[in-house]
Amino acid sequence: MNPMDTPALYREAVLDHYRNPRNRGELADHTHAADGVNPLCGDSLRIELSCARGRITSMRFSGEACAIATATASMLSEVVRGLEVAKVETLHAPFEQILSGELDAHRSLGSLNALAELHRYPARRKCAELAWATLRAALAGTARVTTETP
Amino acid sequence: MSARPNDVSVPFDVARVRRDFPLLARTVHDKPLVYFDNANTSQKPEAVISAVDRFYRETNANVSRAVHTLGEEATAAYEATRDKLARFINANSRDEIVFTSGTTQAINLVAYSYLLPRLQPGDEIVVTTMEHHANIVPWQILGDRAGASLKVAPITENGELIVERFVDLLTPRVKLACVTHVSNVLGTINPVAELARAARRRGIPLLVDGSQAMPHMPVDVRALGCDFYALTGHKMFGPTGTGALWARKELLRDMPPFFGGGEMIREVRFEGTTYADPPHRFEAGTPNVAGFVGLGAAIDYMESVGRERIVAWEHELLDHATAAMKSVPGLRIVGEAKNKAAVISFLVDGAHAHDLATLLDYEGIAVRSGHHCAHPLMQFYGVPATVRASLSMYNTHEEIDRFVEAIGRVRKLLA
Repeated sequence: MNPMDTPALYREAVLDHYRNPRNRGELADHTHAADGVNPLCGDSLRIELSCARGRITSMRFSGEACAIATATASMLSEVVRGLEVAKVETLHAPFEQILSGELDAHRSLGSLNALAELHRYPARRKCAELAWATLRAALAGTARVTTETP
Repeated sequence: MSARPNDVSVPFDVARVRRDFPLLARTVHDKPLVYFDNANTSQKPEAVISAVDRFYRETNANVSRAVHTLGEEATAAYEATRDKLARFINANSRDEIVFTSGTTQAINLVAYSYLLPRLQPGDEIVVTTMEHHANIVPWQILGDRAGASLKVAPITENGELIVERFVDLLTPRVKLACVTHVSNVLGTINPVAELARAARRRGIPLLVDGSQAMPHMPVDVRALGCDFYALTGHKMFGPTGTGALWARKELLRDMPPFFGGGEMIREVRFEGTTYADPPHRFEAGTPNVAGFVGLGAAIDYMESVGRERIVAWEHELLDHATAAMKSVPGLRIVGEAKNKAAVISFLVDGAHAHDLATLLDYEGIAVRSGHHCAHPLMQFYGVPATVRASLSMYNTHEEIDRFVEAIGRVRKLLA
């Protein structure tokens, strides 16, 4: 497939995070962890976090998921590194706005802004939400979460 | 389309068939559409679209009520489809055809009207691993209610039902056995006649889910020897919201109604109501009249093409697609039964089913990705999802080549 023929959702910035995921693996000394499942497709992600003095010092993820879910987890791991735990919640609303097309980009979302095309693929939205749902569950102390949890 | 619809020696004129389906001319993402999601729903020929359109423009009225001309015409058109369908599946009588909204309603009708009144604690219902949720969940609901349990006949890794295991499950505790005629995921064509003989010898009625068989092959319920045959119109080129349950007359006669309302009664008094005879006993309320007129046109259309010729053409397509797909490195076909319809589920190493489907869509190719409403089958194969290419009589060798080339490109993109 030549680049001209690639849909914008699978732009290089996204595919790079899929092919070479950042922070894939486990954190032996994690302080928080959660498993997330997208029951619509069976994809699952595990996120482990190390938090100290109210900040996320490191995030690692593992599991089998599609390119969009994997790339989102990879980008998220970059964005939250060093972030205050309280700040994560404030980023969730802008992220949802990017997924729905209400926002083109947000300065605090960094590489996650590459997912702006996702609003054209409503059937794939849950793929990007999986990593977020799992991250929020980990911070909330919920061991398991699904993208269908209200 | 042919003067000799069942003469398989006459070359199949697929270009002519395609011209009968207006939607096939459209593009998706600026590329000509390749529609390989036929097991989900089929496209509709002009004959069906115009029959529905003409009904609303010229005939529209409710059925079996009004004595005026439109009412008579609408009733005649609606009932004509019952005659056509009875002939099409070789029923003994038109009275054995109960119109439903689709296969799901047909199966639920058997569940609540036939089985529930008979079901006792400790009874069993037999299904197979390859059933669609519509042929699993109604039986689970009933089982929970009546204290009965589900017994599941297993399949081989190839995707073939293990017939001896199915037969072994047919004990005196079994009140109904259920099987899909053609698997919506694997394409497997089950040996229904053989299963029906085994069930009959033990006095157990057999229900067949015919959703995926109807568009692909001749169906003869008498030759199959089953007791219930559930089918849907929208997969066989007819409108959505149409379907039917065929059942032996003696079974329908003893079944109480499932839905109550207008149309299904003989006389209503507050002291008690007497019901109409089958099939109208099971058709409460105003049906999808225009839809069934369209279904009649779909049956006429399939007969004009010829079902034997459809079988032969689709078999050619299946052989081509299977061989071409196997040449793609890392591609694995899920379901390789010896006897199968042109439904091909597959996985590609390193390419997730949803990514594949989205990227193929960008090339104008419509396939389904996911669990195909068959969670237990996905669990059997230990995969969360597959991609499914399901072909129809209007698909071509050129479309298969485009599809296989596109898989190769997508594979490289994701690698």
